[in-house]
Amino acid sequence: MRVKNKKLLLFVPVLAFSSLASAELATLSDDEMSTVDGAGIGLVLEDFVFDHGDDQANGQVFKITGIKSTAASPEDVEITVSQLYIARADSNYGENLNPVNLGRLVNPFQIDVIDGATLGIGNKAVLEMAAPTKVPFAEGYDCLSSSATAGSGTCSSRPMDLGAGFNGERPDLGLKLGVAVGSKTPHNVNINAKSAVFDGSYLRLWGDDDRHQLVAEYKLNFYTPELSINSCDPSGQNCGSTIYMKNFELELALGNRFQPMYMDVNGDGNFVFEVKAIAHQYMNQLPSSGKCDAGNPCSANAQAAYDFFKSYYENDEFRSNLRIGNMTIGDINASGKDFGSARIEGMLIQYLKVTSHDLAAP
Amino acid sequence: MKKFAHCLLGFMGSLSVAVAHAELSSIDDGDLSAISGQGGVYLSGEITINEQGGPIQNAYFGSCSDPAKRCGARIAYQTRQDGGWYVLDDIRGSFSFQGLTLRVRNIDSGFGGDGALFNREVLEIGLPDTIKVDNLQYTYATSSTARPTDAGYKQTDIYTVNIDGDVTMKGNLLVFPTGTP
Repeated sequence: MRVKNKKLLLFVPVLAFSSLASAELATLSDDEMSTVDGAGIGLVLEDFVFDHGDDQANGQVFKITGIKSTAASPEDVEITVSQLYIARADSNYGENLNPVNLGRLVNPFQIDVIDGATLGIGNKAVLEMAAPTKVPFAEGYDCLSSSATAGSGTCSSRPMDLGAGFNGERPDLGLKLGVAVGSKTPHNVNINAKSAVFDGSYLRLWGDDDRHQLVAEYKLNFYTPELSINSCDPSGQNCGSTIYMKNFELELALGNRFQPMYMDVNGDGNFVFEVKAIAHQYMNQLPSSGKCDAGNPCSANAQAAYDFFKSYYENDEFRSNLRIGNMTIGDINASGKDFGSARIEGMLIQYLKVTSHDLAAP
Repeated sequence: MKKFAHCLLGFMGSLSVAVAHAELSSIDDGDLSAISGQGGVYLSGEITINEQGGPIQNAYFGSCSDPAKRCGARIAYQTRQDGGWYVLDDIRGSFSFQGLTLRVRNIDSGFGGDGALFNREVLEIGLPDTIKVDNLQYTYATSSTARPTDAGYKQTDIYTVNIDGDVTMKGNLLVFPTGTP
């Protein structure tokens, strides 16, 4: 009896609230409905600092083990992560860790499920994890310059502006590793990137019906005005020459809608990484000259294959680029050796397959 | 005696309800629209995974005091039908945090001018500044079978990660729907 009463009591307020709530609702017209689309999730990190490292005297451990050297008598390799940090762009190689924003409210990091038809990936749902997108030149900021202003480039993330009290969306990133082979004296390797930008990067995942496999398309854009690598003694105080790469730009494209990237493990327990070979169903019908134009008419099928390859080879989106504005070894402010600039542009992967092998196995 | 106590409690309960009811007044639609969900949630927690070893004891899994056996948890996942498995093996240790906050926040200023353009509400997850990690470890491996006890089991351990001590993680994670609302 008591229980029944409770139920009744609960029921009455719910009814009362529901009638109130319905009074606040308004119907959506068809026009309004048509502007609603399947929304994803936007993520922004505000005032973010990440820092961890190995400092065993203070109970801090961060190490990677399980790797062996390839010498005649293999020894254990222990990698100690002395420091891994993400902080504002004036960190002085990880010395001063101040907060930074990652992603913009108007152009955040996103997790979304997209209709594959809009990406040229057939009738599939595609899971996309993306960094802020590139924007039109008039609205964007130069991807490299630490003092870029609006209208100077295609990156959305802005550099810090301490005068305006703004931390910016371009973090300093650093990784300091101690590598010890067996009982030998460990060496330190330090990698630091200043004011890093990842705009335009994404990972798309979907399923391949023919191979019954998870496939992916990965684009990594990484821009930094200075990427430096050096090696020091275990104390980290006495360092050798530093390799400075000024205005470093990496635009890496692994897999695309025609050549997805496959990641798999084979029957021996080794991983297999593959980028599908580029192919077209009528490629065998292409004339031996390889041309389909006014002087070399082709069948409809061959023309379709020709058009497909022409657009594939002319699409910059499928190509990878690496540009280093200036490479200097030594002390950048004093007697460093200047190796000038280096560029690798328009790299296209037609087929790639990498399989790991366990060297420790008999 | 017990019955009496029940009776007394019941009486006090009904009295307080009556008093509370007398203090309530109705809110009209205009006032109601000005009220938003304030406050938030403050979370502290500790998560421990197989610190002493898991419940399964066999040729592969066992107590953490037995160096010949693995005592951590194992997660295996496959990216191709009938293919091999990616494995996070021997996962153990614990991590704890204090002061993870959760609230809804309206942003209409700041963020270098983005706040005024954005002018919406977000879910704010306040990171706990420090996460205490106690001997957290895992091994990343690739394996021919999901379980180490399956026929034809072969595994390549790629690397093992150990983390101990305090990890600094400051800031707020803002989560919101994107697209056209």
